[in-house]
Amino acid sequence: MAFTEPVLTKRIPLDPEKRKLVSYSDYVATGGYEQLKKALEMAPADIIKTVTDSGLRGRGGAGFSAGQKWSFIPKEKKTTHYLTVNADESEPGTFKDRYVINHDPHLLLEGIAICSLATQCDVAYIFIRGEYHYSAKVLEHAIKEAYDHGIFSSEKGILGSGKKLEVYVHRGAGAYICGEETGLLEALEGKRGWPRNKPPFPAIAGAFAKPTVINNVETLMNVPMIIEKGPAWFKTMGTPSSPGPKLFGMSGHVNKPGVYEDELGITLDYAINKLAGGMKGGAYKASICGGISMGVLGTNQLDVKLDFDDVRFRGGCLGLGTAGMIVMNEHTDMVRALRNCVRFYSHESCGQCTPCREGSHWMRKILDRIVDGEGKAGDLTMLMELEKTMGIMPGTTICGLADGTAWATRTFISKFYDEFARACPDDPVKRVPLTISTGRFNVLTPMGSNTR
Amino acid sequence: MTDAMKKHLEEKYFPRYPSKRAVLLPALHLVQHTYNWIPPQAIEEVANFLEIAPAEALDTASFYEEYWLKPKGKYLLQVCRSLTCEICQGEKLTQKLCDKLKIEVGETTADKRYTLVELECLGACGSAPVMLVNERLYENVSPDQLEDIINALPDDPHDFKDPDITWEGSSH
Ligand SMILES: Cc1cc2nc3c(=O)[nH]c(=O)nc-3n(C[C@H](O)[C@H](O)[C@H](O)COP(=O)(O)O)c2cc1C
Ligand code: SF4
Ligand code: FES
Repeated sequence: MAFTEPVLTKRIPLDPEKRKLVSYSDYVATGGYEQLKKALEMAPADIIKTVTDSGLRGRGGAGFSAGQKWSFIPKEKKTTHYLTVNADESEPGTFKDRYVINHDPHLLLEGIAICSLATQCDVAYIFIRGEYHYSAKVLEHAIKEAYDHGIFSSEKGILGSGKKLEVYVHRGAGAYICGEETGLLEALEGKRGWPRNKPPFPAIAGAFAKPTVINNVETLMNVPMIIEKGPAWFKTMGTPSSPGPKLFGMSGHVNKPGVYEDELGITLDYAINKLAGGMKGGAYKASICGGISMGVLGTNQLDVKLDFDDVRFRGGCLGLGTAGMIVMNEHTDMVRALRNCVRFYSHESCGQCTPCREGSHWMRKILDRIVDGEGKAGDLTMLMELEKTMGIMPGTTICGLADGTAWATRTFISKFYDEFARACPDDPVKRVPLTISTGRFNVLTPMGSNTR
Repeated sequence: MTDAMKKHLEEKYFPRYPSKRAVLLPALHLVQHTYNWIPPQAIEEVANFLEIAPAEALDTASFYEEYWLKPKGKYLLQVCRSLTCEICQGEKLTQKLCDKLKIEVGETTADKRYTLVELECLGACGSAPVMLVNERLYENVSPDQLEDIINALPDDPHDFKDPDITWEGSSH
């Protein structure tokens, strides 16, 4: 592991006073769009191989190999291919994509262009959540700059190469579920954001039933530097199975909340105390592990490594998710915290699957009454029973939102059992051993395998 | 829908998508930006314009929280209620706004100037607690600042600009 200086955020100063929006000319003056020129000289298969060799895994939550995903797109082009960039970022605790878009939008555009060359995409839609008004305007402005300077051109193609690519911003309208990749596609097509049953997978029939790549903002931002410096360099950062730099969103009870870039595999302790300036208002108690859907890391888990594996196998969480950590001090009420999470899911469930729609609703009602001091005997048992019935893992739902509900509930209750038991004094349930993910499933991606 | 709105959609959005229905979200955004909500008549007109059934347009419009199918105040005060903001005392913002405006969450003041809602995570947890006023985000808000924030809002919401946007451009 060797991370010496920021690479993804090299154009964004750590000092907030010095940060500004990197314009087209600033971007080009600091080596921007050079990698796009290099990629234009490469065959699509070579770009895909380079990205696959780098071991870059998706930064949107599921950690699926980016190069492998691109390789599923038909090589022989028979029809329009689409790239949809996932900038829906609505997972509580996650604010990294907004940070990089607001400061260095051209890095995303360069990543989009290179990905489109590799997968022969004709149109790229940046799907951005409706609440990101400012960021949407930043992106539209950056796209205009890129067209004005011939990076994109409807007549001449990318940098005059004849390879056509149109880039558009598509704004969502306030629904977390549109971050799920097929919910996103439905919203793009002008429908309600109901996730689709898979197969068919988006690589074969995605947006408008055409082959479609879906990648997170941060994933694509890694691509130019991989083209520049190569897979071996990329792998000097991070761990063997989780290479590269990562944006960590640190929020909650820390002295210096914000987005920090470091390498994958740093410990939670390091993230809190070295990056985010240490605890505020009291000693460390718990931390959400990468967005609330991943679950919570407990008081004695500061040594867990923040990469795609350790948080699962040793941390007992669903995964690293978006690496948005919500850090909580000793004065935080875990029952209230879980209630907040479950309220989120019951509010955001799209309503298609009964276990998710009804389950989260009932769980919320139960948690509401526990918070109100009216926890009944049996409430904890009921919560833990409900939690096991919902999600892609038990195979009862279409998408992974319900797995998030389940893992948040499971990890909060198992790691802070005493606190929950105190709130429901008559409950007969004994302390349950922590459920550790087997790692057999990769819940958030329909491609369905993990890359270990 | 005015002719100007139709022309705008035709020129800017129709070329972007292979289907007219895909223009539905942009069209609804435009209607709401113009009229501050989406009246039933607009649903009908948008549907006709995009050659889909009104029921389909309504189905989509009603799914998304950002679309208001009933009138709201000139200023929509949207306080984040998700986990980071909750543990960083975001509830105090809601409380203070309720007290000051004498309304509950979800209600509009009698003069139709403010509507107060709570939203889920606004993607700005690093500067919790946060609130969105129409299209502008306020970060690290303390209850004491609310008075000033509200008093500074111009009478016409179309004059309410985000000072960080220093270039021309719109997302509608
Ligand atoms: C309920 C739900 C919400 C999601 N929200 C987001 C999101 O806001 N942003 C994102 O990039 N991925 C999100 N994902 C993951 C996407 O489905 C998809 O895996 C990802 O965009 C793929 O990009 P990547 O491979 O580059 O990570 C979500 C998944 C689920 C199940
Ligand atoms: S799991 Fe929940 S959010 Fe996902 S499709 Fe089913 S009901 Fe909708
Ligand atoms: S929790 Fe409030 S902005 Fe994320």
